Amino acid sequence: MLTKRLSRRTFLKASAATTALLSVGTFEFKSWQKIHADEKTNLTTIPTFCNACSSKCGLLVHVKNGRVWKVSGQPDHPFGKGKVCARGHALASIPYSSDRLTQPMKKIAEGKFEPITWEQAYKEIGTKLKQIIEKNGPGSFVFINDPRPTGKFYGPRFLNAVGSSNYFGHETVCSNARDTGFNHTIGGIPGGDVANSKYIVFIGRSYGDGVRPASVQALIKAKENGAHVVIVDPRLNNTAPLADEWLPIRPGTDLALVLAMSNVLVTEELYDKEFISNYSVGFEEYKKTIMEYTPEWAEKITGISKETIIRIARDMAKVKPKAMIEQSWRGAFGSTYANSVDTGRAVALFNALLGNIQQKGGYIFGKSPKLGKLDESIHPTPPEATIPRVDAEYPLVSHHTGVAAIIPQKAKEGIVKAALIIQTNPVRNYANPKYMIEGLKSLELMVVIDIQMSETASIADYVLPEPTYLERDDVIEVTPGVKPAISIRQKVIEKVHANTVPADRIFTEIAKEMGLGDYFNFSVDQLNQAMIAPLGITLSELKKKGTIIIDDPVELGVVPKLKTASGKVEFYNESFKKAGFSPVVQWMEPLVKPDSSSFRLITGKQSYHSHTFTANIPYLIQITKDYNSERLWINRTRANQMGLKDGDLVEVVSELTKSKIRIYVTDRIHPECVFVPSGYGNFSKNLTYANGVGFSYLDHLPFHMDPIGGTPMIHECIVKIRKVGV
Amino acid sequence: MARYGMLIDTKKCVECFGCRVACQMQNGLPPEEAFIHFYEKETGTFPNVNIQILPVQCQHCENPPCMKNCPTGATYKNKDGIVLVDENKCIGCKYCVVSCPYQARVPNHKTGVVEKCRFCVEEVEKGKAPICVATCVGNARIFGDLDDPNSEISREIIKRKAIPLRADLGTKPKIYYVR
Repeated sequence: MLTKRLSRRTFLKASAATTALLSVGTFEFKSWQKIHADEKTNLTTIPTFCNACSSKCGLLVHVKNGRVWKVSGQPDHPFGKGKVCARGHALASIPYSSDRLTQPMKKIAEGKFEPITWEQAYKEIGTKLKQIIEKNGPGSFVFINDPRPTGKFYGPRFLNAVGSSNYFGHETVCSNARDTGFNHTIGGIPGGDVANSKYIVFIGRSYGDGVRPASVQALIKAKENGAHVVIVDPRLNNTAPLADEWLPIRPGTDLALVLAMSNVLVTEELYDKEFISNYSVGFEEYKKTIMEYTPEWAEKITGISKETIIRIARDMAKVKPKAMIEQSWRGAFGSTYANSVDTGRAVALFNALLGNIQQKGGYIFGKSPKLGKLDESIHPTPPEATIPRVDAEYPLVSHHTGVAAIIPQKAKEGIVKAALIIQTNPVRNYANPKYMIEGLKSLELMVVIDIQMSETASIADYVLPEPTYLERDDVIEVTPGVKPAISIRQKVIEKVHANTVPADRIFTEIAKEMGLGDYFNFSVDQLNQAMIAPLGITLSELKKKGTIIIDDPVELGVVPKLKTASGKVEFYNESFKKAGFSPVVQWMEPLVKPDSSSFRLITGKQSYHSHTFTANIPYLIQITKDYNSERLWINRTRANQMGLKDGDLVEVVSELTKSKIRIYVTDRIHPECVFVPSGYGNFSKNLTYANGVGFSYLDHLPFHMDPIGGTPMIHECIVKIRKVGV
Repeated sequence: MARYGMLIDTKKCVECFGCRVACQMQNGLPPEEAFIHFYEKETGTFPNVNIQILPVQCQHCENPPCMKNCPTGATYKNKDGIVLVDENKCIGCKYCVVSCPYQARVPNHKTGVVEKCRFCVEEVEKGKAPICVATCVGNARIFGDLDDPNSEISREIIKRKAIPLRADLGTKPKIYYVR
């Protein structure tokens, strides 16, 4: 978020702002004349897709004399729509980063590594993993990734090969609460058809901060068609230019708001009765509970007036089914509060009351094309592992994501002994880092595949360097949607560091050492060919185009059988009951509450950073530095009361630690909380550019887990603020 | 011959910085030098508050003070009205820096040349849009010929009532803003 202010004075002031110089730029400066006058320039353009966030937008990479020059967007890609955000542009510089890992390494002492050969790495890792599994069973091995191509295919296959069910994604700290709420209520996570909607409510989710070009464009289209857009957030986020109103809700009370809006639809009989009677179960039980949650009741909890609650619910009902509470990712109910799973349930049910499922302008379950498989007679598939998972105490959480934040605890208990972690950073990003480090250090074997020395890689036993996303071929990517798409990531430039090896080879070679090589007797090309064969697409065609849209659109207006236990919307949920939770959604207080002398610490994205991974890209961290955007947001009235001024250096103090940071004094935030952007706080000394910039909310977060969704409840954290030097 | 200009619809800009970084890549700039910068203004008090976002770069003035004040003639206008810098003539005196009311001139600390947005002249000559226009996630930017009354930009300037920044200074800037 920017803090540079526009004023008449700065505009007239005739001096240039000088910025501190960084000594290294990954792209050497050349004037445009030099670049463009050179007629011998060999310029090629190769399609691939981005790796800067989970959207994986289609890119065209422009390569000049063998070196990446710039990227532009593939017009056909459903998420990118021909556009590229700041992260996408800047990430293209990462092959040339001075912080790249260049050779396999083995830990020889705390914080000390020695280079080893790949042969030694494969042999030692394969042998050790085999021993651990023989001694402790395959359930002692876990695989963790931030779901990306290749890892997403090879990880589960490798787990099956060794007999473990322990697949984990980063969702524990992203969308697990929402996913759990949605999965059991409406059977999955639909996409909001924002472009055709007439009324859109965002709860914590910000298209202007977690940027996906297609989403921004959809919202602009909706606005141009007269849609009403509401931001519900303790912070006026950067979707503000595209919104009509901001509800500065008291943090942690979104559930009360949604329950009260639902109450209005039910008591005033504004809901879609036909949809409810045909496609839902348990509505009567829900109705009984929802009667308690009046707008008057919610006003006291949320700080949003009952008039506003009633008005919004009624206005949404008027334009239903072209109205929605947007489905969000992490937002305010992904992994955020003790009540986030139930907020997820309440949001899904509110949309069901609007009857917007599979309707234009509502919630649409996209399609995924049926992909082909490798020929089993030549490439045997490992049997599906069926042993219990190490996070079995979270029975409602999908096994496609898992509860990764529990792994350190399981390691300390001696249940998990070995972990393979690929291109994700649990130590920095999944929960309190001290807790994570302590737990992961009890592992007997920790292997990390990455391109730079993350905080997680820093404590691994083996660090295995991959080529970056521009230097390797990956497994194809499916983008589900109304019209799904198939995209390919392919090698755009030669490897910058010869001794890096792509993950598919690493999995294959370790499997060979373990005597499981038969399950990996194919190349990525062979796999991709087999996967796309049923679609009538050839690999060379896909490599040429980058993205191919499968023209078999979802039929709108037809409600599919939902992937819930009953096949319908579940207002009453047996699975929740069986797991010991309320079968009907109900109000639950957040875990912690600030008093008049403290604040809730909240966080959220900035458009130019993803997780903490991009903070080490000079082009992106420079934006942070130019605009001082690592600062802590504090409400102006609270700051005045405390004698704090914009730019003051303060200490953020919690039960666990202290952080020093400058403040951004603003009216854009609720007085009960302070906000820190989520992209900072890297402490690995090998992340030259990111190290020491800002702090992370996770440093202050006590280790606690939400019992339903298994999230670390990242906004359940109380801090005090005091001026440094007073 | 054309008279190229740009429209920036600030109501569609979420300050994602895509344009800034795309421009840096296009022009081979180091991270700390950017041709596009942003201003942000907060209005109102909690809870009735809003923000205005303003991306600023060289306005390609018809009457550019930087050109007038350039002692060596390094800053010039091409046939299409795009303001450019001849790096062979620039002596790095920074007169242009102090004379630009939009703070759009950016000294390159390695070469000493004072650069700025060039409307991606080499892309434009190929019939394409400048890179900041091409990459804008919200399609907040339109580029085209202001002399052609039928061009999209000419029509949209009228339709959206776009106005230049600080027209009172007499610089006749060619970037039009929608507020």
